Amino acid sequence: MKNLLCKKIPFLIFTIVAGLLLFSSCKKDYSAEDVPIPPVVKDHNLVLNFKAVSDTLPLEFGKNYRNYFKQNFSVKTFKFYIHDIEMINTDSGRVFRTSADKYFLVDFSDSTTTSIKLSILPFQYNRISFVIGVDSARNVSGAQTGALDPAKGMFWTWNTGYIMAKLEGNSSSSPSGIFEYHIGGFKESESVIKKPVLLFPFGESLALKPEKTSEITVTANVNSWFYNPHDIKFNENPSVTTPGTLAKQIAENYSKMFTVVGVKNE
Amino acid sequence: MVIRCTIRISLFILTSIIIISACKKSGSEKKTPTLLSFSIPAGFPDPTYKFITNPLTEEGFQLGRKLFYDGRLSKDGNFACASCHQQFAGFANFDHSLSHGFNNQFTTRNAPGLFNLAWHKEMHWDGGIINIEVQPLAPITAPNEMAEDINAILKKLQSDTAYPKLFNAAFGDETINSQRMLFAITQFAGSMVSANSKYDQVKKGITTFSDAEKTGYQIFQAKCTNCHTEPLFTDFSFRNTGIPLDPYLKDIGRMRITNKKEDSLKFKVPSLRNVLPSFPYGHDGRFATIKNVLDHYSDGVENGPTVDPLVKNKIPLTNLDKFYLTQFLYTLTDSVFLKDKRFSEPK
Repeated sequence: MKNLLCKKIPFLIFTIVAGLLLFSSCKKDYSAEDVPIPPVVKDHNLVLNFKAVSDTLPLEFGKNYRNYFKQNFSVKTFKFYIHDIEMINTDSGRVFRTSADKYFLVDFSDSTTTSIKLSILPFQYNRISFVIGVDSARNVSGAQTGALDPAKGMFWTWNTGYIMAKLEGNSSSSPSGIFEYHIGGFKESESVIKKPVLLFPFGESLALKPEKTSEITVTANVNSWFYNPHDIKFNENPSVTTPGTLAKQIAENYSKMFTVVGVKNE
Repeated sequence: MVIRCTIRISLFILTSIIIISACKKSGSEKKTPTLLSFSIPAGFPDPTYKFITNPLTEEGFQLGRKLFYDGRLSKDGNFACASCHQQFAGFANFDHSLSHGFNNQFTTRNAPGLFNLAWHKEMHWDGGIINIEVQPLAPITAPNEMAEDINAILKKLQSDTAYPKLFNAAFGDETINSQRMLFAITQFAGSMVSANSKYDQVKKGITTFSDAEKTGYQIFQAKCTNCHTEPLFTDFSFRNTGIPLDPYLKDIGRMRITNKKEDSLKFKVPSLRNVLPSFPYGHDGRFATIKNVLDHYSDGVENGPTVDPLVKNKIPLTNLDKFYLTQFLYTLTDSVFLKDKRFSEPK
């Protein structure tokens, strides 16, 4: 009996080991073909489109426009960070918050960045809100990747912090012929972080349905940077590239630059 | 019988183990980076930077070392980090009040020594940089220093034959991006710990001060430690020590960052470790010798609204005091660190 057991045990172990070998250490070779292909799931159901405008006109880089003070200008750079996008229903009080830590750099010179694809809980919404800028924690947490990669040219190298919004161009009213607004500042006294809530056009609401995609179009009015509540004139302040009072004023101005002009439900 | 049985069973188990491990080896070609521990010298406080999101590895350190000594991080290839941060000068710029940068330009401040950086809360003379990881971006992109664009550097590294392999070894794949480049440089520069001077050895009881050094240490403790606090020999604060504004550089110091009047002409208190080889001194390198600095404190302080209360009435120092103090300051030279092969230019 003992003898029999002794003869059997090694084989038993061998079988177990062989089995383990097949399924564990060399798993890769076996499982490659066996992995079921995941069903195609749409990764988004809402597209947020940004369009640059100068008051009533669509904004084209290099073309001349006029600000409130009748000063001519043309734009060559227009970009800003947004994150923490929220969909709101003020009737039911329902709020759907997307991942606050996902940042988007909307850059009007790169059309791949002006349409943001989002995955939202299907429901009816009548407001959209987002933060313009980069949260203070992200400003000081070292080297980042993605939209916050310092290689994107939206990071101050001499005074740690992100440029939250950038507008550059030419104006004959500026003494040097150019203007540069690099707006940033995250410390409490210098913060330019804004969170506007945008209404939808009268009578329109976002009605997200399962398996369907909706679209929201938001205009960003470059003229808002220069007027209301603070007057920013090219002859007086053609360059604002540090945090401080002027940066805060411009941020207050541009926090009103967005208008939802269209909501399209599929 | 039982013995034979045991032998058989063990033999089978042994063979299986060999087979399993062999199989595993052939299955995984990827080597994981070798983790290094960051050791804190005895008596040092907790560091500010702890390599938490950027784990310190041998491969990452070596990649950072190569980058630190590579001129390709500058626009014309001439200015590596190491061109203004020389090891024998405590990684300051030896005998240069201001350094040279791209296109025959001068920098606007004296290159600080690089050591014990993990303890710094802010970098730069004005404390403008809040996280060590993003520090290299400042000299790299400054038009009068390395003058290069981050994306241009990444392209150079990507088209190089060696770098993709080194990034793979350090970070698990060949992706070269700004974060990985900065992580690697931080691993190298953050690892530069200097805590092996004669002063440190005296503290450990390995050796003793000479009489002159001892007297100097006593004067130092009485008159200097408020700002140059042991064991790092700086309290990392920003102070105006009564150095008059340079009419050409017009450097207002800390105020450039905070926009506050009360910060006008304040600069970060530098560490006095490795002070001897890292001359000249002051934020713009206007003091050529240690004696010049001591003379400034005893006779030169120019009073003004933001001048530090500790120095505004000058620091009374006799010539003999200055001699003893200098003798003590010499004991802060860490010759082991200055020659440490781990931090020297890679072959």
